[in-house]
Amino acid sequence: MSSQGNNRVLARTKTEIALYAAVCLAILLVPMFLQDAFLLNKYARYLVFGMLAVSLSLSWGYGGILNLGQAMTFGIGSYCMAMMLKLKTVPVHTGADGLPDFMVWNNVTELPWFWTPFYSPLFGVLAGILLPAGVAALLGWFVFKGRVTGVYAAIITLAAMVVVQLVIIDQQAYTGGFNGITDLGQFDIAGITFDAYGSSSYYLVAICLTITLFLALAITRSKAGLIVQAIRDEEDRVRFFGYDVALYKIFIFSISAAIAGLAGMLYTIVMEFASPTFLGVPLSLSVVIWVAVGGRQSLLGAMLGALIVTGVQGALSESETFLDTWTLIMGLLFVLVVLFLPQGIAGAFASLARRFERQRPAPVPKPVQHTEPMPNGRQIESTR
Amino acid sequence: MSTENQLVVENASVSFSGFRAVSDLCLKVRAGELRCLIGPNGAGKTTALDLICGKTRLSGGEIVFKGKPIHRLSEHAIARAGIGRKFQVPSVFRALSVRDNLHIGHSKQPGVLANLATFGQGGDTEDIERLAELVGLEDELDTPAAHLSHGQTQWLEIALILAQDPSLILMDEPTAGMTAQETKKTAQLFNRLGGRHTLIVVEHDMGFVRDIAQTISVMHQGKLLAEGSITDIEGNQAVRDAYLGSGGIGHA
Repeated sequence: MSSQGNNRVLARTKTEIALYAAVCLAILLVPMFLQDAFLLNKYARYLVFGMLAVSLSLSWGYGGILNLGQAMTFGIGSYCMAMMLKLKTVPVHTGADGLPDFMVWNNVTELPWFWTPFYSPLFGVLAGILLPAGVAALLGWFVFKGRVTGVYAAIITLAAMVVVQLVIIDQQAYTGGFNGITDLGQFDIAGITFDAYGSSSYYLVAICLTITLFLALAITRSKAGLIVQAIRDEEDRVRFFGYDVALYKIFIFSISAAIAGLAGMLYTIVMEFASPTFLGVPLSLSVVIWVAVGGRQSLLGAMLGALIVTGVQGALSESETFLDTWTLIMGLLFVLVVLFLPQGIAGAFASLARRFERQRPAPVPKPVQHTEPMPNGRQIESTR
Repeated sequence: MSTENQLVVENASVSFSGFRAVSDLCLKVRAGELRCLIGPNGAGKTTALDLICGKTRLSGGEIVFKGKPIHRLSEHAIARAGIGRKFQVPSVFRALSVRDNLHIGHSKQPGVLANLATFGQGGDTEDIERLAELVGLEDELDTPAAHLSHGQTQWLEIALILAQDPSLILMDEPTAGMTAQETKKTAQLFNRLGGRHTLIVVEHDMGFVRDIAQTISVMHQGKLLAEGSITDIEGNQAVRDAYLGSGGIGHA
């Protein structure tokens, strides 16, 4: 019986991997049927949002840490890429010893020390992933070692993001201030140049998304991922088994930040600029909505939630009929999902699949010898 | 202080906003012993367990486990030293299957990176199935813990502690909510655990205490009132006085 159960778990994992692979393949095939550069760019942008949703699903859906400042690490990644791409334009614009244009306008005479390493593309890319992870680890160290949980932790993440955004806006001479960093060079790797309006950039985003999805799936299916979910359910219980709860939280929080940072870098490539709005409250809260609509306890669901919501949003805001009312429609959609699909679209599909599974003939139950279920025991509904 | 004492609680005290929940409690438990901790409501039994496992911090005294003071360690360090705790309100991971619950209970390897590289049940499958069978949950391995009955949930948490395999197990009212039959089976299980594990059991069900206890410690108003075998305790006048008004010791 139990080894059969073990096989069932294995079969479920295989189905899941197949499902993820099918979705990723479909995403990778899109440019074959679509030559419109504008549309490809738009879809690449949606995929970046999908990646951002995956990152939040890890920390919120699996770790139970509602990060309202997910855009902070997204923005840091975005600025790392922008700094690197900006320096590529310097020799062309202002000569070999020149400065980025906005620094010249702000009377900066020397390249600040923290800009210099971004001459190295490798440093730029690594910084775009490791810096967000490091910032999250530091923030997480204070929050989780201090046992701050729930809504208080959420408020701290939001506040931290606003602080970083204000610093970026305030330090105009070094960050471009409100305008952000614009007029960038093109990212290139191994002889391939990634034009924001070409299929190359789309493929770059799609491949990064695929790798991220499977990496995140592997993390959630590892024992560490299981412990993270257990912490979400019963933090104290996990602690008294000997696991260092704060370390596990810092871990999932930082992984989530690293993915958000990668998404931010890709966003700069696709948008061709970095802006303080990338660390803004509106974007950060939008991520929460995408993940809630898609289903926070499913990586794939969260990603599809981002694609669906941003897709519908894009279509509505561009159509003349809904020009004035599309925000209302989005709000209504969100309210409906929260009311009727508390586990999002993915949760609805999962419970449909379970119902289907239950309808198949079950194996003959063994006579119950040891336990008489309490009269009301079976009625406890899963909170999942 | 005898060397065979696995756990020594010396003059342990703690107060919550002025109320001394435990005051100058002294307790010595030998390795492999099955000790019952009883007392009327508010006697400080649960607080005593909280102090041992680190959930509550001492304001005075010390707690020595296997010759080392543990009262300053963090909760997870105390757990790694070999102390397991079952809570009064059964605490399991309701969203996860029974199998995953047991998998987490296996905490011999607590590090993040090591567990990141562990997939499936690894080498634990047999142990997980053996434990599930021991507590009668072998047919529920893939059921979410939220769907279990109250008694089954109690047993799942007991199985989780056994998966952790600590040398000292602290049980807070393990039979609460169990049927008479389930309670009897729990008593048999505990008697089998004695010797290999040291158990401290807080319990109100005197029938159950009679079935399992070797030594009983009685607490009253945060202090140790009496200690001895079941017959000693039942004949003790101070214990009878303490229980007066709560229906007598036999019916507590």
